[in-house]
Amino acid sequence: MSLTKVFAEHPNRRYIEFGGKGGLGKTTFSAATAYWLAKRDHKVLVFSVDPQASLSDIFERDIFGKGAVEIMPNLYAQEINADQHIKEYQNEIRQKILDMYGFDEIPEEIENYIQAAAAEPAMEESAIFDAVVDIVVGEEYDYYIYDLVPLGHALYYLSMASVYDEWIDKITALREEMEEYSQVAALLERKDESEEDQILAELLDIKQRINTSSSILTDREKTAFFFVITPEEMIILDTLKAAKLFSKFDVPIAGYIVNRVIPAELAQQDIPDYLKNRIEMQDHYIEKIGETFGDEVLASVQEFDRDITGLEMIGKVADTLFGGVA
Amino acid sequence: MTEEEKANFLKRFGHSAKEFLYGMAGHDMTRFALKTRGSMEHLFILITMGDLLGIPILPPYYSLRLLPYVVPQISTWKRRMLRERDLTDALA
Repeated sequence: MSLTKVFAEHPNRRYIEFGGKGGLGKTTFSAATAYWLAKRDHKVLVFSVDPQASLSDIFERDIFGKGAVEIMPNLYAQEINADQHIKEYQNEIRQKILDMYGFDEIPEEIENYIQAAAAEPAMEESAIFDAVVDIVVGEEYDYYIYDLVPLGHALYYLSMASVYDEWIDKITALREEMEEYSQVAALLERKDESEEDQILAELLDIKQRINTSSSILTDREKTAFFFVITPEEMIILDTLKAAKLFSKFDVPIAGYIVNRVIPAELAQQDIPDYLKNRIEMQDHYIEKIGETFGDEVLASVQEFDRDITGLEMIGKVADTLFGGVA
Repeated sequence: MTEEEKANFLKRFGHSAKEFLYGMAGHDMTRFALKTRGSMEHLFILITMGDLLGIPILPPYYSLRLLPYVVPQISTWKRRMLRERDLTDALA
């Protein structure tokens, strides 16, 4: 099975995620896939939530916190700036309070709370989560490519949806019960109807957003998750563990891509022992990868002789990636 | 007494009777429903805005979204949550 075939067989897939340990090539493959799809006339957005994102580096353009930036026709890239997102969000809340109550300024106590809430450790993650929801529920692009953060962190994001969901469920239930009491009082006082509960409406909206985004990211029809691995023992073992954890969150794992393979033809040439040994070791692990992941290995990409930055190199990676198993 | 006066009287009597019955039976129930609603409102603010009292509640991101709606209740809520309790509470 090749990556090209996987894309051809699943035309409904719109959300592509690359995951794996740090430094294995998630960003490279995200960019290369985006490039390949954009060249085939699909409108693509590749985005990252990592505060140390490398999309700016790979595309050689500063795009951090600038929204979706056009890199080439049909190819857009976005790096989410969580701090900026939080600031904008705080201002939105302030404006809403000013508008709702006609205040000239935010009462001190409330202002303090708004500022303190932004300093909470979970705030950044929540803001990123919310920004991603905004991106994935949009219908603007044919493909959304999610350059994930390294494994452990990615799991955290995935589990966040279910934690939020439970929390929101609980307080929504309480809110609904409150609504019942309001209705009883309204009925006894013979008022026609009680006022609409705006908080309940807001909670239901939050719930709906969380559900939409988590249903997208676990939908086998629409979403594909690819693991990036390299022919090394630690990586293979860690990926196996991660795959188990990910399947608990219903992540639709669609295949594995091997990166950083030293070209085998080198072995035929006159090379130093150091390199020979590396190639031998690698052959052993490539075999092991074949045994472990079987035909779920969709592509094997060689180690290039220079850094992957700029569209030309990204194009070369895309050719190897979608040219099938090397 | 004309027909109109009669109808009027009956209407007023009916209205008064309704009010009387409401006062006898319904009023207390309404008061109870509203009081329960009020307590739950404060419980709700506690579990969403607990940070305002120094009780950390997760996740603050979505709490902020609800903040505008509870602004008017914040001061009564704080007073109630932080107030010392005594015997008269049982009578309230």
